[in-house]
Amino acid sequence: MNENKFETVSSCVDNFQHDENAFDEIIKDEHLSATWDRYHLIGDVLRNDTPDTLQFDLSAEIANAIANEPTVLAPKASNVFVLKFKAKVVELAKPFGQLAIAASAAGLMVLGVQTNVAQNNETILPSQIVQTIPMAGIAQPVSLNFQQPDRASQKQAFIEQQRRFYALLSDHQQQIKLGSSAVNVVDKAIENTETDIKKANEHNK
Amino acid sequence: MKLLSSILLLLSISFSAVAEESKSAKAWLERLSSSLQSLNFSTSFVVIKNNQAQPYHWFHGIDDNNNELEIISSLNGPRRDILRIGDVVSYIEPESPPYSVRSKQISGPIPAILSGDITQLESGYDFISVGKSRILGRPAQLIRIEAKNAYRFAYWLWLDQKSGMLLKLSIVTKKGQQLEQIQFTHLDVTENLSETLLQLPSTELPVIVDIPQKYQQQKLQWQVNWLPKGFKQINSNRHKISLTKQPVEFMLFSDGLVDISIYVNGTKEQQREVDFVMDGATLVLNQVNKGIEVSVVGKIPSQTAKAIADSITILPPERP
Repeated sequence: MNENKFETVSSCVDNFQHDENAFDEIIKDEHLSATWDRYHLIGDVLRNDTPDTLQFDLSAEIANAIANEPTVLAPKASNVFVLKFKAKVVELAKPFGQLAIAASAAGLMVLGVQTNVAQNNETILPSQIVQTIPMAGIAQPVSLNFQQPDRASQKQAFIEQQRRFYALLSDHQQQIKLGSSAVNVVDKAIENTETDIKKANEHNK
Repeated sequence: MKLLSSILLLLSISFSAVAEESKSAKAWLERLSSSLQSLNFSTSFVVIKNNQAQPYHWFHGIDDNNNELEIISSLNGPRRDILRIGDVVSYIEPESPPYSVRSKQISGPIPAILSGDITQLESGYDFISVGKSRILGRPAQLIRIEAKNAYRFAYWLWLDQKSGMLLKLSIVTKKGQQLEQIQFTHLDVTENLSETLLQLPSTELPVIVDIPQKYQQQKLQWQVNWLPKGFKQINSNRHKISLTKQPVEFMLFSDGLVDISIYVNGTKEQQREVDFVMDGATLVLNQVNKGIEVSVVGKIPSQTAKAIADSITILPPERP
């Protein structure tokens, strides 16, 4: 087991690793899975977030509990038919019991992976974003020469576009503020008509 | 037989696990909503977008008359305050004279739905409880509000395990790129109202603007033929954009979490290529096609906005 693999586990725990294969490898490898568990436990202890009683490996405990269960032996039966029937039940139940252990262990594994897939802690500043710049004042109109668009008119067009974007953005925000109240106005109007209809109905009666 | 039963068992376990997860995620969001409505808190946060951080103060509380009191103020640059007493919200901004509207929701940096009824988001979004981490020096639970299709962004919320309060919020693309973040820098949950809020009821609020119903629900000469599932029309009107004095026809749509504005107007230009900018997660898209200018604004991916803009058709004029 080399250092590299432990580092991968560590970066998975910290959510720096987004490679699906890395997760698969951890799930498959018993040793790495144990490391995964341990790293999370360390994290929980550091965050002061541990439950009162620690259950390190649930599936092992279940297996132990089942092993400690007293074996139910079929009581001596006088009837051969009953004996046959019981034997069948045991035969059927046994694989199911084993399956349940395997399935619950797998379920825990799935859950464990799901709960830790993404915890993005660091504050990432967004990239690839064009900023809208509030334009102070009003741009002076410039006569445009349509045959030969020069640099000045391109710049003018750019400023014009930025102004348009900024105006739209601030209008959008204002309309939302008014919008929620408009809904209330409409709701009230509907209520009013409803009460009017009710009154009219009562009057008719 | 053995194989079949094992598959069945595994399936049933994973299904119940998923159901359990989304149930507990919803419970977290419901707890957040009730905390935001009922607690007395004073807190600070920064909105991080476009490589800039904008700091805010946020106070909330319940007064003796059971009214909700709320103040959100921006701390850098010109004054921007939002005050709320019960169902009156006042906006004090540099762009326009102060005004009040009748509403129970503040339209500010924090999505209003988080203190509202979260169930209305269930049709368009999945709630997923993801994991634990440490935010603002507290143990926090990460809940993701993931869009059911690729037409919207995801919202990631980190909630305080103790009080259920919001500690951090990220708006994230489907590829995991963070567009906008709200990071809380301070949180105090108190027994009594803070001094700032105690003074609020005695402040005189600006006049409530009365919006006539006819103004907000006008019939327009065009229609939007495609929107992501779950968006409903909030209003449609004709108005002038305050900064450019450009008259426009306007429709506003919302899915509870995201608002989309659509503007249509005539222009002297015949054709202009589609162009867009992003302000954090908010996209502004603009294009001119056959002398008709169409603009789409909202916290949506550019492909979605383009598809909406292209789906708009002009209706033939009605005969009187």
